[in-house]
Amino acid sequence: MCAGVLAGGLGALLGIGGGVFLVPFLNSIVGVPIKIAIATSLMTVIATSSAVSAGTAGRNLINLRLGMLLEVASAAGGVAAGVAFQHLTERLLFMGFAAVTALIAVLMLTRLDRRNILDAAVDPGTLGGRYFDEESQRPVVYRVKRLPVAVTASVAAGVISGSLGIGGGILKVPMLNAWCGVPMRAAAATSALMIGVTALASVPIQYAHGFIQPPLGAAAVLGVLVGSRAGLRFAGRARSRSVKLLMAVVLMLVSTVYFFKI
Amino acid sequence: MTTSTDTLLGLEHRLGRVFVAGLTISASALSIGLAAYLLLPDSRLPTLLLNGGLAVLMATPLLRVVVSIVEYFRLRDWFFVITTIAVLAELMVTMIYALTRR
Repeated sequence: MCAGVLAGGLGALLGIGGGVFLVPFLNSIVGVPIKIAIATSLMTVIATSSAVSAGTAGRNLINLRLGMLLEVASAAGGVAAGVAFQHLTERLLFMGFAAVTALIAVLMLTRLDRRNILDAAVDPGTLGGRYFDEESQRPVVYRVKRLPVAVTASVAAGVISGSLGIGGGILKVPMLNAWCGVPMRAAAATSALMIGVTALASVPIQYAHGFIQPPLGAAAVLGVLVGSRAGLRFAGRARSRSVKLLMAVVLMLVSTVYFFKI
Repeated sequence: MTTSTDTLLGLEHRLGRVFVAGLTISASALSIGLAAYLLLPDSRLPTLLLNGGLAVLMATPLLRVVVSIVEYFRLRDWFFVITTIAVLAELMVTMIYALTRR
């Protein structure tokens, strides 16, 4: 329950779901088998996604057009991972965890000061967007670059989401931010909307295979819901740079832990 | 036709309400279910409430997708109609696979 609260807070803040913190906590500290930890975490990803999307709705941070397009790709990855999940070995899952978290941490650290914001008069194009930034107190406009890259990475994010239980936003937020020109906060809000549907593409299969224990799932979901409320309140004020730095440090830690488990 | 930002913002607001309703129902069922699980471990009630709560949780994003298809169809925004139907089809594959494996 406490892990759920903590993971939910950090997850909402970063728009990546709480899974990246919850899976290692349930698996390494509480001692839950890795596959049950992953399925439980994926269930909380749906809760985080719904809670964050309800909270950010109407602030124009969510890029619906881009989100729906990428959702087609990430849900396809999610379905594939859901079907393959019961055949994956624990060792493979540990390796996946160590590799993915290290990769994203490096990506975040190399792009700490990237802003991706254009002059307010620029036309954002079909897939771009504009919103009012609370930090700088001015409107923000951005264009979406390298769409094929975003679509490919979304499929990968769906596969990673369904097999590692970490939301997939962990890949999508840095990708949208670093490669596709979407500002951090819009990337996080758009990703938070997408991860629920991506998780839903694999969770029912894991549920049917018995990888979700209802009492554990309920405790985790409730904890994450409480935590994500706190995180969301903080997210509007936190600086993008410290958000990225916090994300990178936590990811490096998780990666190290799982590297030594292989 | 491309829908204006204001129309989309209104839709986003309404979709936000779907999330709030789904979460409220699900969180209530899960809290009561968890309490019942601790207090009455032999009863069937906690199992029913816990599984029901998780089912509502999973149904919420699904409902969001279905509501969006209807809304986008009404707006005649074919980009959204096509992408949203594609997403729904993928989720249906998962549901059918899960139900046939039980």
